[in-house]
Amino acid sequence: MQVSTKWLKDYIEINLTADELAEKFTLAGIPVENVIKAGEGLEKVITGRIEELTAHPDSDHLLVCQMNVGEENLLQIVTGAPNVKQGQIVPVAMIGANLPCGKKISKGKMRGVVSNGMLCSADELKIEGDSSGIYILPDDTPIGLPAAKVLGLDDDILEFELTANRGDCFSVIGLVRELAVLTGKKPNFPEIKVDENDERNAADLVKIGIDAPDLCGRFSARVLTNVKLAPSPEWMVKRLEGAGMRAINNVVDVTNFVMLEMGQPLHAYDFDEVKGHELTARRAVEFEPLHTLDDTNRLAKGGELVIADAEKAAGLAGIMGGFETEITEKTTTVILEAASFNYASIRRTSRAVGIHSEASGRFERGTNINGTIAALDRVAQLLQEMGACDVCKGVVDIYPAPKPEVKIKFTPAQINARLGTNFTDAQIIDVLEALGFKIENVGGVDELTDEVVDKISAATKNFSKAARELGKKTTAENFVKNLGAHFSELFKNVGAKASEVKDLGVEDFIKGLGSNVENLVKSADLKLSSAYEATVPDWRNDVTIPDDLSEEVARIFGFDKIPSTLPKGNQQGRQSATQNFIDHIKDILTGLGMCEELSFAFTSEAMFDKMQVPADSELRRAVPIMNPLTDEAPLLRTTLLASVFENAARNFSRKNEDVRLFEVAPVFIPKALPVTELPREKQKLAGLLMGRREPKGWSQNPAQVDFYDAKGIVEELLAGLSIANYFVEAGEHYALHPGKTAVFKKGRDILVTVGEVHPAVAEALGIKKKIYVFEADVETLQKFAAKKFTFEHLPKYPSISRDLAILVGHDVAAGDVEKVIAKNAGQFFKGVTLFDVYTGERISADKKSLAFAIEFRSKERTLKDEEADEAFKNILSAVEKEFGAELRS
Amino acid sequence: MEQQIKDLRLRADDAIKNSATLKELDEVRVKFLGKKGELTSVLRGMSKLSAEERPLVGKIVNEARAEIEQLIAQKNSELKALELQKKLASEKIDVTLAGRRVHAGHLHPLTLTLNRVKEIFISMGYSVEEGPEVETDYYNFEALNLPKDHPARDMQDSFYITEEILLRTQTSPVQARTMERHKNNEPIRMIAPGRVYRRDDYDASHSPMFTQVEGLVIDKGISFADLKGTLEDFSKKIFGERTKIRLRPSFFPFTEPSAEVDVSCVMCHGDGCKVCQGTGWLEILGAGMVHPDVLKMSGYDPNEVSGFAFGMGIERIAMLSYGLDDMRLLYDNDVRFLNQF
Repeated sequence: MQVSTKWLKDYIEINLTADELAEKFTLAGIPVENVIKAGEGLEKVITGRIEELTAHPDSDHLLVCQMNVGEENLLQIVTGAPNVKQGQIVPVAMIGANLPCGKKISKGKMRGVVSNGMLCSADELKIEGDSSGIYILPDDTPIGLPAAKVLGLDDDILEFELTANRGDCFSVIGLVRELAVLTGKKPNFPEIKVDENDERNAADLVKIGIDAPDLCGRFSARVLTNVKLAPSPEWMVKRLEGAGMRAINNVVDVTNFVMLEMGQPLHAYDFDEVKGHELTARRAVEFEPLHTLDDTNRLAKGGELVIADAEKAAGLAGIMGGFETEITEKTTTVILEAASFNYASIRRTSRAVGIHSEASGRFERGTNINGTIAALDRVAQLLQEMGACDVCKGVVDIYPAPKPEVKIKFTPAQINARLGTNFTDAQIIDVLEALGFKIENVGGVDELTDEVVDKISAATKNFSKAARELGKKTTAENFVKNLGAHFSELFKNVGAKASEVKDLGVEDFIKGLGSNVENLVKSADLKLSSAYEATVPDWRNDVTIPDDLSEEVARIFGFDKIPSTLPKGNQQGRQSATQNFIDHIKDILTGLGMCEELSFAFTSEAMFDKMQVPADSELRRAVPIMNPLTDEAPLLRTTLLASVFENAARNFSRKNEDVRLFEVAPVFIPKALPVTELPREKQKLAGLLMGRREPKGWSQNPAQVDFYDAKGIVEELLAGLSIANYFVEAGEHYALHPGKTAVFKKGRDILVTVGEVHPAVAEALGIKKKIYVFEADVETLQKFAAKKFTFEHLPKYPSISRDLAILVGHDVAAGDVEKVIAKNAGQFFKGVTLFDVYTGERISADKKSLAFAIEFRSKERTLKDEEADEAFKNILSAVEKEFGAELRS
Repeated sequence: MEQQIKDLRLRADDAIKNSATLKELDEVRVKFLGKKGELTSVLRGMSKLSAEERPLVGKIVNEARAEIEQLIAQKNSELKALELQKKLASEKIDVTLAGRRVHAGHLHPLTLTLNRVKEIFISMGYSVEEGPEVETDYYNFEALNLPKDHPARDMQDSFYITEEILLRTQTSPVQARTMERHKNNEPIRMIAPGRVYRRDDYDASHSPMFTQVEGLVIDKGISFADLKGTLEDFSKKIFGERTKIRLRPSFFPFTEPSAEVDVSCVMCHGDGCKVCQGTGWLEILGAGMVHPDVLKMSGYDPNEVSGFAFGMGIERIAMLSYGLDDMRLLYDNDVRFLNQF
């Protein structure tokens, strides 16, 4: 909705600038999005007469004009416009002008001829008018005047971004109503009078019907005869243009004008084209043809509301009229419609057909069902005043179920409680009455709740107790003073004001204490329990409950008048164990040099292909989005690897080759496809490493990360999460190198999978580097994380270490050897560390050398060398037996 | 003999003084004090002396020995200091060479911002609640007083999975779910942080996925003033003590009254700058008193309790806190960006 400030000021006398108006409206909940200042950009455009016109010596389409702009000398300007003639008066942009179209005017030469400005078209000035050439002003226009003034561009425009609830502000009168409350000024709305000067009864001429009362609550019509189509008067054209609408002819313009003014959309039908002279609001039949006034042939989906004549649908109700019944030059009699349509139905249809009109926008927000007749009358009145029609007697009005008045019972205490304010009854009632609510005091002793009674009696009890206590141990003077404080406390408790009794003399105060308390309690009773009933004005569809009234009070007083307090009472803040666990994972991984990424939850088949997800894999059963943003992201991810891969690829393409990323986020596993219920959301962890092991530096090792860097991070993570006693074995993973994949397991549960990305996957991702990834399920990790951490005592006795260096075949896994060592190391075994792996010239080619440090210790005493030697012997014979190992000499 | 010792002393003094290294000094020590040293041989010659002379000469010899030892010790520490100095001088390195750095990990700036927001609210007694990102139409809209065809649904273009299932457009469904879990009008003080989705184009100020924190407080006697005070407190804690807030009436179907909340511009503190487009204010929050229908739908009695709710975008706060000018930086995950936090 946009409206010119002049139009607002037609109906209310105010002296506010457009900016001040915008602020007032916005802070009252009627947001002004933009203020368009009158003549902005036209400051250096003035009127000028073309005194001489000569052809450009070097061009066959340019003309050289000598312009009289009211100065002593003529101004030479070159123009290319074909429509200029000597003697015309036109808008001239002077040097330095910064036009609304964006053009900046400076002195220049066109094909060698000096040009000191520009003659402007309507488009360049952003005004209505023929833009094929220069804008020609009337011959009697004075020259040397600001063009903005001559063009009547002295009107600032407010652009509103109305909230969905305030349909009533979708009109000039609605806005002025608000303004009147906000400024305390009286509005001055036009008086509506119709002279029904055609003897015929409208009801005899047309038949109106409603077949779908759920979609059309009211259909009112008038018949206008002897219609003379003509252009609208200038003042109306201006108002319409200020509201962003184009003038067409008097009938259409007046219906638009009244819609803008009163918020009631109207439609005019050519009486002679309406078959059977009858109009019915009914549901469309499936595939029923609709020829709308944009000359488009549509087919109804079925169920949408149409206005039909005796033969066919003559328009989409509330959205767009029909082609055949449109007002034309030939029209002499008009059926004028003002109706009320169901907002939801209008919204559905408007979205379905893709038409969002001024009318549909208003119906969607709800119009005033009781305002149809006033709107018809206003149209008739305006056209009559223009001498453009006669008006038949009566209104044909179908209103099957008149809207009952909305009445809301409320107490000011209720409103104050919701707002946290202390407004008096009178303040609250004044605001509501100003907004058009009718307020009736409905007493309300029955509203006195037990709670209120308890509060008052407790306060009184406290008071008398305090008075007795005070009296015992103080002077008369202090007694009175302190009593005052207690008294005011009491007043606060019961919601009254201490000041009301402050004026009493001290003597009277003491004497009349008893009766004062009595009176006070009485008045507090009333205060807390007086109840009112508000009758909602019929233009406000959005106010139905007391809470809505509290909003009205708050926004009119201003939200800045509401105090700031904090909720009473204490609660313990916390986050869940899982949230803490995820935070812990993130802390550990950042401590290990990993960067956290956050990525979109979308993925695609193409990504699954790149990742080599097998065709029959569960991971391919991803949740599809009905209306994805792009074809590249139509699915919800089933694996977090998709996200780390995407980020790695983006980084690599930007030449960021050292990447260490991780993310903790959900994946979405459908319970059934097509989706019938919410998918399972599982929190996953994924990490990725590539590039240098150490940051680049003059003394840093340039080596690249390998499998064991990734595995080391996983091991540190598990240690940090207090997950112990897992085992690691070679594993398989669709996206990983078949010989470089390890699975961390606990029983049958997989804790983490880690490995080198399959070279084909890396290639598909466009990464010419080795990549290492790991992935884990957060719930599984959490399941095995020790709930409680217990520390191990430092050893009291020294340990003995023995090194075991053996030669084994290449196929022997170090992890298996370690298991055998542990199993055969006896009761004093403490641990084993593989500290060297060697293959090369010094040993035979089919062997590798593994060197382990094995530690023994007793908790009770210092071990003897012989005991370690004994254990070592057992270990050696075991590995010889199990792996054909030979002791390396 | 006395003279002999005196001479010896003088020679020893000279020799000590002239020692340039610890090794030379040690040679001096051996020469004079060693087993075969000069002073030792003097001592040996004492046997030839008379019983009267012996103690006298013995005393002189011992004194001389003590003095020489002291001089040697003194010289020794001088030389040691000197040698250390030389050693240190020879060990000088180029301290301007870069240090040996390790890869440092970083939390994502949105996590950092969210953690600050969470900390503030946890300290104010709020629990952190979570819920699914794929939601039913009921929890995402209807339980929040947004029936089908409500015009306010236009404000949020959603990603649909089916007609009834969608990617949540706000974290408010978590509020509805949390309310349903509570019985008997139990008080609630919660925030719901999480990813939400709207069908917005991906550009400098929009993203199809972003992070929201919504808050909900329900208790007896909760007022709009409590909401205002809470948001004022939060804004000061997150943007600094100088921060002011401004509430503008607005409309959300799930709150009544509703407000848009501006904070004084974090860049210019209200004077007007590019970031706040000259207004001095930045819109960061939507808030209001929970609509009684929303309470009712989730099993609360609006006659017994009232509540307030608010919602904010973490991206917006992160962008303001770190001065980011393009939202896409947050989801590009360029390591050159991530490494700065």
